[in-house]
Amino acid sequence: MIKMDVLAPGILLWLFAVILSGPAEVQAYPQFQEFVEKRSKQPVNCAMCHANGNGPDGQKPGQTGGLNEEETKRLEQARTAFEKGVEVESPILNQFGNEIVRSLGRKKVIALIREPEKLYDELPAGSDIDGDGVPDRDEYLDGTDPTNKFHASPLKLLFINLNQFKMHVALAALAIFSINLGLGHLIKGISLLSRKRA
Amino acid sequence: MDDIKQTERAGSGNGSLTGKAMNFMLERFPVEKMNFHYMFEQKEVPVHSMSWGYYTGGLTFFFFVIQVITGLFLIFYYQPTVSDAYLSVEFINNHVSGGSLIRNMHAWSSSAMIFFAMLHLLVTFAMKSFVKPRELTWIAGVILLFITFTFGFTGYLLPWNQIAVNATKVGLQSIEDVGQYLPGALSTLPQVLRETFQGEASVGQSTLGRFYALHVVILPLALSALLGLHLFQVQLHGMSRGVDEKPKRSEKFFTAFFFKDLEVWALAFFILFCLALCIPFESFLPFPLLAPYDPLGATPAGIKPEWYFFFVYYPLELLPFWVILLASLAAVLVLFLTPWIFRGTSRKTLRFIAVLAAAYLFVMTVFGQAIYEALKS
Amino acid sequence: MLDSFLYVALPYLAVTICIAGSIYRIRREPITYSALSSQFLENNGLLWGSLPWHIGIIVIILAHALAFLCPGLWQQILSVRAVLLVVEVCGYGLSILCILGLVVLAVRRLTSPRIQAVTTAMDLVVLLLLILQVGCGLMIAVQYRWGSLWSVGTTCQYLWSLALFQPDISYIQDLPHAVKGHIVGAWLLILVVPFSRLIHMFSVPLSYLTRPPQNVIWTNPRRAEAAGEVFVKEESRRHFVLAAGGIAFGGFLLLIGTFDKIFNFFFGPRLSAAEETKLMQHKLERLKITAEQRSLELERRESRFIFIADLKDLSDTEGKYFIDFSMQPGIAFKGENGLPILISAKCTHLGCTVGNRRDAEGRILCPCHVSYFDVVTGKPNEGAPAKAPLPHLGWILMNSKDQVIARGPHDKTGGVNLSAQTLADARVFVTREEG
Repeated sequence: MIKMDVLAPGILLWLFAVILSGPAEVQAYPQFQEFVEKRSKQPVNCAMCHANGNGPDGQKPGQTGGLNEEETKRLEQARTAFEKGVEVESPILNQFGNEIVRSLGRKKVIALIREPEKLYDELPAGSDIDGDGVPDRDEYLDGTDPTNKFHASPLKLLFINLNQFKMHVALAALAIFSINLGLGHLIKGISLLSRKRA
Repeated sequence: MDDIKQTERAGSGNGSLTGKAMNFMLERFPVEKMNFHYMFEQKEVPVHSMSWGYYTGGLTFFFFVIQVITGLFLIFYYQPTVSDAYLSVEFINNHVSGGSLIRNMHAWSSSAMIFFAMLHLLVTFAMKSFVKPRELTWIAGVILLFITFTFGFTGYLLPWNQIAVNATKVGLQSIEDVGQYLPGALSTLPQVLRETFQGEASVGQSTLGRFYALHVVILPLALSALLGLHLFQVQLHGMSRGVDEKPKRSEKFFTAFFFKDLEVWALAFFILFCLALCIPFESFLPFPLLAPYDPLGATPAGIKPEWYFFFVYYPLELLPFWVILLASLAAVLVLFLTPWIFRGTSRKTLRFIAVLAAAYLFVMTVFGQAIYEALKS
Repeated sequence: MLDSFLYVALPYLAVTICIAGSIYRIRREPITYSALSSQFLENNGLLWGSLPWHIGIIVIILAHALAFLCPGLWQQILSVRAVLLVVEVCGYGLSILCILGLVVLAVRRLTSPRIQAVTTAMDLVVLLLLILQVGCGLMIAVQYRWGSLWSVGTTCQYLWSLALFQPDISYIQDLPHAVKGHIVGAWLLILVVPFSRLIHMFSVPLSYLTRPPQNVIWTNPRRAEAAGEVFVKEESRRHFVLAAGGIAFGGFLLLIGTFDKIFNFFFGPRLSAAEETKLMQHKLERLKITAEQRSLELERRESRFIFIADLKDLSDTEGKYFIDFSMQPGIAFKGENGLPILISAKCTHLGCTVGNRRDAEGRILCPCHVSYFDVVTGKPNEGAPAKAPLPHLGWILMNSKDQVIARGPHDKTGGVNLSAQTLADARVFVTREEG
């Protein structure tokens, strides 16, 4: 009936076409968002990696339908970065998104759709775009904004900043408690004098 | 002394309303005690197991002072318009020298002030500090508490991000929901009230404008006036006894207690400074809620009011609206009439009630979300 | 040769002689463990000489000791520029105090006949050495600036090498002559300690700092009367001194810590060109959003119907958001019969915007407190927090010639007679009144 030796390679070819062309058409990868929300137990949106918090599809700035000529060129360029190591400036991605593309390459990103937790291992450990002290890949797992230096897990921030500002804390303690001492003795001195008068 | 007796006799002799009112006022505002010697030099603070409670009021005041100072710095750069509010706050955070610290101190100190205000309420209740002649102190204090919560509610809107506007919408919506329980023509009253608060059909520039005016001028003036009355009454009548047993000793307010008060304030400021330096308040919220408000988009998930409203918010989610309405009305009524309702209650019972209330507040605030999720499914 | 004598042999010699000599002296002549105070002989000059000298030298020596004992911590503290400036300026001030004190003391010792009567040669030697040493130190501070920092890597290391019995003079070999002279002077001073009045350094009355106030009982009736007042005055003075010290120190720290921050706060942030541009861009974007809002509001004032979308662009599963006449969100779907369904998206529970994706049962979800609304009827699901149904909004269909060809939701007659072609070209508008 149907010739298997013709059909099989045909199906295979079709499969390849789907796999390679399919995700290239699909712009948004909601699997990553689902993973992060489950892992960090708090809501996140597309703004973690994308320029627009509602995702890359649409007519607004930062979405595929709202780009000008120069931005469209950058998008085309970014779309060709299949291997890692290529610096891209995609207008639909924010700094973190561009960093992901640079350090993984689009091929790896697409492959990781089925295993979003592996993104942690692929991202470089030292990359910290917002400079808050928490590495980007940790912010990915915690569901915090890797481009906002005031946003990260509060407990981690406490220890990092305490360490960073220990001189300030020590000097502030010294100043506060010496002023407190001074004021206390001032009150005692005044009360002694007033008692004497009374 | 004799003139007072004279006036009292004269007043009670009449038995009239004016006589009684005069009596009442004279007992609450004893003129013979309104001098420096009595109000400052002689004032004493009893020393007993609940003495720690005497610091709570001072701490609330201290945090208010910090709010005023940090707030004054913030209004240099904050812009109360719909198009510029979010960006001005970002500007303060990122570019103004010391801006992020000042803003963070303002946020942390607001939570601290509300926390200690509630603690002060519970402690003064348990110490039965509201009995005659301190009823006016108590009433002024309850109004001060409501003003403090309003401070929090109005201030929360000012950054104009997703959480700010949506949480305010949710809060104002609950006012409008009262309408369904009012008869006939009155049912539109809450909606009118809500639109008065809002300034227009939905939360927008008018709302921001009037919330800003409230937060920066009207509420501070009101609070300062009432606080003046509250503190004047405290100095006039002295510290309340606090416990049933006679205190073994008491220390002078000025200097011994004031000295310790200052130490507590110094410690509180140091802890506040460290927290504000190390943990930005926004890190407690999921980042989609920190995005600038988008009037034309979907509401992001996770909208809820600030933590100090949780004790009303989660019950609102779990129970029918009319239950919450009745309970809140009852609570407010009881709060205002406490000096008369609990006049004869023993301190032991009061302490029990206070502990119960504290337990409810703690559980609902800390575990409210978990309870809601457990019961929802 | 000379170097190894001066910087290796001399230090060990000086410290050994100092320790051995002091121990010998306290055992044989303990009474001589004093500064041989001449206050009884001459009081005023001593005040103006001894006080500034001692205040200055004690702080300076403590700072030198701190730098020697904890060079790492010292370096970390001084890495803050403001602190470095303060420390150096304080050093200048204190050494000037020392020199002035020493000058007064020298003049006193050389010209007062009473003091001359009790002066020994060693006194003059000590005076000379001290003046030279402090003068040298000040000169170093001025000419070879930031000594408090460079000493960490040079003289401190040299001293530690001596202390650990692995003397290494390479640390100080290339230092200027003034510094080397200062180092030698220090060893000389240590050497003469057991032979001079400098031995009084080992009998510092530390307990004086915390002694309780003394209440003197006077037999003299004049003094006895005033005793109470005097006592209170002196005790309160102690408090005021502590108060002034505490507040001054704390205030000083606070000032140097916050001054530049506060000044820059009021001066205003100075952004780089790139940052200014980005800020302007953001502001423009926000203004555009507000402008859009206002134009939408105007549109709703002036028109009786607002364009939503072409009917063919509406989907039955993913609704299109629009703003209705009361500036509230609404969603437009394509219904089963090809006609549009326009429903309010303001959740009837607490006002959140309802989502626009229909699930398998044709319902849309409000994410805030999880209410499902059926799109066709608007009713919420059983047990949802929302009780009231979402209201439907009135719409009209217009063809390409701007004629109204259908209206809804209540007017059912028009829709059934429309051909597929007309529907394909139709445009959906929301109207002010319902149906």
